[in-house]
Amino acid sequence: MLATFLKFELRYRLRQPAVYVFSLIFALLTFGAMTSDAVVIGGGSGQTAINAPFVITQMLGIMSVVSVILVTAFVSTAVIRDFELSTDALFFTKPIRKLDLLAGRFLGAVAVAFIVMIAAAVGLAVGTMMPWLDAERVLPFSATPYLRALLVFVLPNLVVMGSFFFAIATLTRRVLPAYVGVVAFFVVYSVSQSFAGDLDNDTLAALSDPFGMAALGTSTRYWTVAERNSALVPLDGTLWLNRAVWLGLAGVCFGLTVRRFSFASRARKPKRGDDSRDESSGLQGSRTDAPLVVVQPRFGAGTGLVQLWHALRVELGAVVRGKVFIVVVLFAVLNVVGGALGTMDELYGTPILPVTHLMVRVVDRVFALFVIIVITFYAGERVHSERQVGLHEVYDALPVPSWVPLLGKLGALWAAVFVLLGVGALTGMAIQLARGYTHLEPALYLEGLWGLSLSQWAMVCVLAVFFQVLVNHKYLGFLLMLIFFGSQIVLPALDLQHGIYRYGWAPSTPYSDMNRYGHFITPALWYRLYWSLFAAGLLVVANLLWVRGTDARLRLRLREARRRATRLQLGLLAGLVAAVFGVGAFILHNTTVLNDYRTDDDEEDAAVRYEQLYKAAWDAAPQPRVVAADLEVEIWPHSREVALRGTLELVNRHDAPIDRLMVAVEPRLAVESLGLPDAALVEHDEELGVRIYRLEPALAPGAALSFPFSLRFAEAGFRNHGSVTQVVGNGTFFTSGFVPHFGYDAERELGDPNERRKRGLPARVRMRPPTDMAARANTYITREADWIRFAATVSTSSDQIALAPGYLVRQWDEGDRRYFRYEMDAPILDFYAFLSADYVVARDHWNDVAIEVYHHAPHDMNVPRMIESVKASLDYFTANFSPYQHRQVRIVEFPRYASFAQSFPNTIPYSESLGFIADLSGEDAIDYVFYVTAHEVAHQWWAHQVIGAEVQGSTMLSETLAQYSALMVMEKTYGRAKMKEFLEYELDRYLEGRSAELERELPLSLVENQPYIHYNKGSLVMYALREVMGEAVLNGVLAQYIADVGFQSPPFTTSLELVERIRAAMPERFAYLVEDLLETITLYDNRAIEAKATPLGGDRFAVELVVESHKQRADGAGAEQDVPLDDWLQLGVYGEDETAEPLYLEWHHITGPRTEVRVEVSGRPARAGIDPQVLFIDRDPDDNVRKVEVSE
Amino acid sequence: MVEPRAELVIEGLSKTYPGGVRALRGVSLRIPSGMFGLLGPNGAGKSTLMRTIATLQDPDEGSIQLGALDVLRDKDRVRRVLGYLPQDFGVYPHLDPLSLLDHFAVLKGITARSERKAVVEALLNRVNLWDQRKQKLGGFSGGMRQRFGIAQALLGDPRLIIVDEPTAGLDPHERSRFLNLLAEIGEHVVVVLSTHIVEDVADLCFEMAIIAKGRVLRHGEPQRAIDELRGCTWKKVIAKEELAGHQADHMVISTRLVGGRTVIHVFAEDAPGDEFAAVDPDLEDVYFTTLAKAA
Repeated sequence: MLATFLKFELRYRLRQPAVYVFSLIFALLTFGAMTSDAVVIGGGSGQTAINAPFVITQMLGIMSVVSVILVTAFVSTAVIRDFELSTDALFFTKPIRKLDLLAGRFLGAVAVAFIVMIAAAVGLAVGTMMPWLDAERVLPFSATPYLRALLVFVLPNLVVMGSFFFAIATLTRRVLPAYVGVVAFFVVYSVSQSFAGDLDNDTLAALSDPFGMAALGTSTRYWTVAERNSALVPLDGTLWLNRAVWLGLAGVCFGLTVRRFSFASRARKPKRGDDSRDESSGLQGSRTDAPLVVVQPRFGAGTGLVQLWHALRVELGAVVRGKVFIVVVLFAVLNVVGGALGTMDELYGTPILPVTHLMVRVVDRVFALFVIIVITFYAGERVHSERQVGLHEVYDALPVPSWVPLLGKLGALWAAVFVLLGVGALTGMAIQLARGYTHLEPALYLEGLWGLSLSQWAMVCVLAVFFQVLVNHKYLGFLLMLIFFGSQIVLPALDLQHGIYRYGWAPSTPYSDMNRYGHFITPALWYRLYWSLFAAGLLVVANLLWVRGTDARLRLRLREARRRATRLQLGLLAGLVAAVFGVGAFILHNTTVLNDYRTDDDEEDAAVRYEQLYKAAWDAAPQPRVVAADLEVEIWPHSREVALRGTLELVNRHDAPIDRLMVAVEPRLAVESLGLPDAALVEHDEELGVRIYRLEPALAPGAALSFPFSLRFAEAGFRNHGSVTQVVGNGTFFTSGFVPHFGYDAERELGDPNERRKRGLPARVRMRPPTDMAARANTYITREADWIRFAATVSTSSDQIALAPGYLVRQWDEGDRRYFRYEMDAPILDFYAFLSADYVVARDHWNDVAIEVYHHAPHDMNVPRMIESVKASLDYFTANFSPYQHRQVRIVEFPRYASFAQSFPNTIPYSESLGFIADLSGEDAIDYVFYVTAHEVAHQWWAHQVIGAEVQGSTMLSETLAQYSALMVMEKTYGRAKMKEFLEYELDRYLEGRSAELERELPLSLVENQPYIHYNKGSLVMYALREVMGEAVLNGVLAQYIADVGFQSPPFTTSLELVERIRAAMPERFAYLVEDLLETITLYDNRAIEAKATPLGGDRFAVELVVESHKQRADGAGAEQDVPLDDWLQLGVYGEDETAEPLYLEWHHITGPRTEVRVEVSGRPARAGIDPQVLFIDRDPDDNVRKVEVSE
Repeated sequence: MVEPRAELVIEGLSKTYPGGVRALRGVSLRIPSGMFGLLGPNGAGKSTLMRTIATLQDPDEGSIQLGALDVLRDKDRVRRVLGYLPQDFGVYPHLDPLSLLDHFAVLKGITARSERKAVVEALLNRVNLWDQRKQKLGGFSGGMRQRFGIAQALLGDPRLIIVDEPTAGLDPHERSRFLNLLAEIGEHVVVVLSTHIVEDVADLCFEMAIIAKGRVLRHGEPQRAIDELRGCTWKKVIAKEELAGHQADHMVISTRLVGGRTVIHVFAEDAPGDEFAAVDPDLEDVYFTTLAKAA
């Protein structure tokens, strides 16, 4: 019987088009994801093979999340279609068993969904065989990963999800609740996953994810490239448990469905009042003899408007009272709360303040999906509402112009989005208040949501209605909208980035507290105007094509449109077309004539051209060195212009004359004059901004050349994208990148190895080895200079303060301009910046060093923390390393267009989004404002005193040592316990960073400017070194190192020199650590196996500890090899109080995988284990320590 | 505006649907003001004709004039004077008759609130829905919904009333109430009533047309048609098995069961012979004879 139903269901489904349409869509999706960059579904990057087992599993896993909608589409109708088609009376009167019917139908529907997913897998597999893929990134085909993904993830997920939504649809006998359930499910799912995403509860997160993806994520999170490419996804205990738990739940759910399901047709529950009043009873019965009232309808100019107003109210009522709308609003609000919590947990678990622009951004981002759902769904519902209930024949014969229903329905959509965004704003404010943040900015909500956001959604509403009218088929209209939303994602990926052909698109309008919407608002408004006019045109067309009557074929409607087209409408349409062309031409003039329109591909092409044209001849060509810069910088914030004049002093430090000079000017700057006569110009590439001059006479060895220049920056009109964020109304911040540069700049080369291969460039050596003496002639900051003399006069508008490195020697006003003269009293690196904004200055001092924080007036919350940190840093660094070379430390805020802090000589630009709005009120928050500040101050030593050569390992000398210095300052202020917390984040980021490596991982001492190594691993390594060497010894090494190499001339120092010094100072038993920590990639797998304690009387306990240790070496791709243990590791026993001193913590000599130890402690032991502080890198640090079982 | 007592003139109307179904084949009718009955079996093209008059679809050929108004071109004008009750229609289940009728009244151009209230209340009374005015339409029975449909069709003083199968689903009491209402309004305006229930036409209409397979088979006054048939209609009570034989020998126009026995009517200019009795023909005989002749 069951088999009969299953077969019937399968046959029924396979005769329907849905299964084939879905199969095609899914297969195309996976095929597209595999073969192009336009579609992205999970996937690997860098050296991970395109079809690595890991990637295949991930892609099919993600598709199986998407397939919830698919399986719901099938299971939801499996039984209830009998009720809808009214075949229930035929079917359910037969002698059949409920279980057979339900199970047969359910399994049939799931089987069909599985067929679609198999199609997805086939699409993926076929994709991997396409000839245009990078052959180096494709592994030979193997069916195993596909089968495993299908059977372990996809099929169980279909059964689990299917059973849930089958239950909802079958028991409520309606499809809609099932889909509402899907939406609810996804919301709860995403929120719960973001909560479960915390570091602590991985296993719980793995179990709580019904798709098993979290379990997959947990076991593969730290996978290296080698593992991703070779290993099949492990079927470990957590994964099995996850599958079992969810399939069990599905079984229970299905069982309940069978029990509660009833064949009986459901009688409509009589509503009160339906029957209670007899038709003929009562005094107030109908007076069927009442005289007819005859009223002449009047049709005048205002009739249409009155009708429109009325229609709008009726339509809006239907939308906002609709269950779907209410459900969507609820979920949107829930999601905003989740999203806000997620966004505010910014760095090291420390939240940022819920400032208004942040809340607006969260609401805008989170609501997008829900607005899309509301627009798409209700456009279909409302446009077809009369047709759906069968009222259209009455409705269409009414004496209303077509624009009344058209605008009524559209207006209702607009109003619905308006309401939705309003709810979003209220939610945002509620979150702010709940967090105790009372600086609400209602105007900002208004501008951001009801202004910028609503105006774009309004155009999408028009499009949705237009599609529905055009195709006059609800689901086809949905499909067109789906294609539209897809194209919004796909077009830019295909390098079609211009807004002139992307409906409704406008350049983004990033908001900064300092600069507000700045100049970004102008182009955003022009694009909105352009697309609004276009949308208005669509409306006129929609009005002409509006379906009226029963014969809605497009051909007939086009004929009818000719009849309907009044002169007014045609005139309006012509006017709109003309206006679209006019505004479009204006936009094109601005974006392509006044400005360069360059796609991402164009930028990459330029990089390729630069390398191909100049690398061979110029990479090693001797060029003179910049030794001094005296600049005159005029900043005009309000018109966003900069005039940059000055003189660079060049000296030939080589022993041969130089007869050619390569000058590069940032292409977006206009050159007014350069220091050499035009006659000497040999070659000029305008696009790349490269000029090559002949030097006549050649610059003799030791001779100097004065190079005056005058440049100007101005952004005429506006750009489609990529508008310059460095020069803005309030918060200008640009670096020495704006002055002319000399010689070849390897930084401009295309870095991504896959892109390089695609464009036929040879593999690139990212950095040269520390032994390369030619490379050691330069610092890693720039090749054109090392230490320079620096002075600058900076001027700005009278309401702003302008800054540059150096000491302010003079300030004066001239007209409505303010002038500042900055001079440096000692040589600095050729690395400086200019800033200008309306600042408030907080001043303090440490000994005779002035501390100044230049900030946006309302951002004063964390300024005292910054000052504290500067003081603590100066204390520690001067005591332990060397004196501070400047008399001043300045921290300068800049807008959130970038989110870093960067240390220039005595000047530290610091993004408004980093630290200024951190919420440090939490007791146990990691004070990253303090830490980041200390890190940047440390750069005054590590970079501005000791600077490495342009070779591997140099960022260890700047970033890693700055990181170590900041850690020490932080530990002095916040204690050891905080350090452990901080280092846990560092370990996590290091492990994640290495699995996302694009080229190859390197040991710390050979790091090639890889942040996860020089920051995150650097912190861990330096902290471990501090633990084994002692702080005094390590700092002694560093102090001596500065004394020896600080402010040195070429050749510049390398990490090898520091490593040798550390080796020399290392205690003998830890000698192997130099190799482990600095020279190789070494990982431990330490775990506590057993921990038992027996009381010895009094408060003495004997603790028996069994631990396991493994040590591995990894190569650049992450392939690991066990290496024998002959190591010293800490064993520790801790009491109940985690913050108290450990009961026992000693170094033990570990020589094999298994170690048993018995120690006696005073105090009741609670936890014990190996390397309990996780000093060494361990992929699973949580199992290092376990609970101690105390036998009584 | 439409002049009083304007005629509805239909000329050579043809319509073929995409599937090849020829719904109308050169239909021409002249419909004076007053009640006009359109009789025809299922699929005769009645609804197509009605929808075409109601501006809901265009014919492939032909023209329709309402007085001086070109119905096919001047749709907006026609809609202002039109009252239309489709054969089959739904309602918004979540609304009550009062608010939906009010909504329609606005869309019919009755924009003044007080006027609207008076019209809506009077109509709800006349169709006997006053008691149910606040109940959700979703819970209405077919007959109640039909009465609501009648109310909306009569909104706003229509000059051209098209009612497609209006009495379907009404109990006898409501049917007669509706026919009275229609008769009251229909004196001075054009009312086209399509039906397959012969009685409706017989009770109400001064003029009628019978159409089948898209053609007008007969057009004129019911009484004259009945008179024409007088002396040519005969009936006989037969056994069920005998039916086939009689159909072969005679022009059987209708068959019906009376008290479990089969009664047939046949058309014959002369007495068809034994056991056939002459019948005083009614409109139904006209209808069936017309159809039988056309077949």
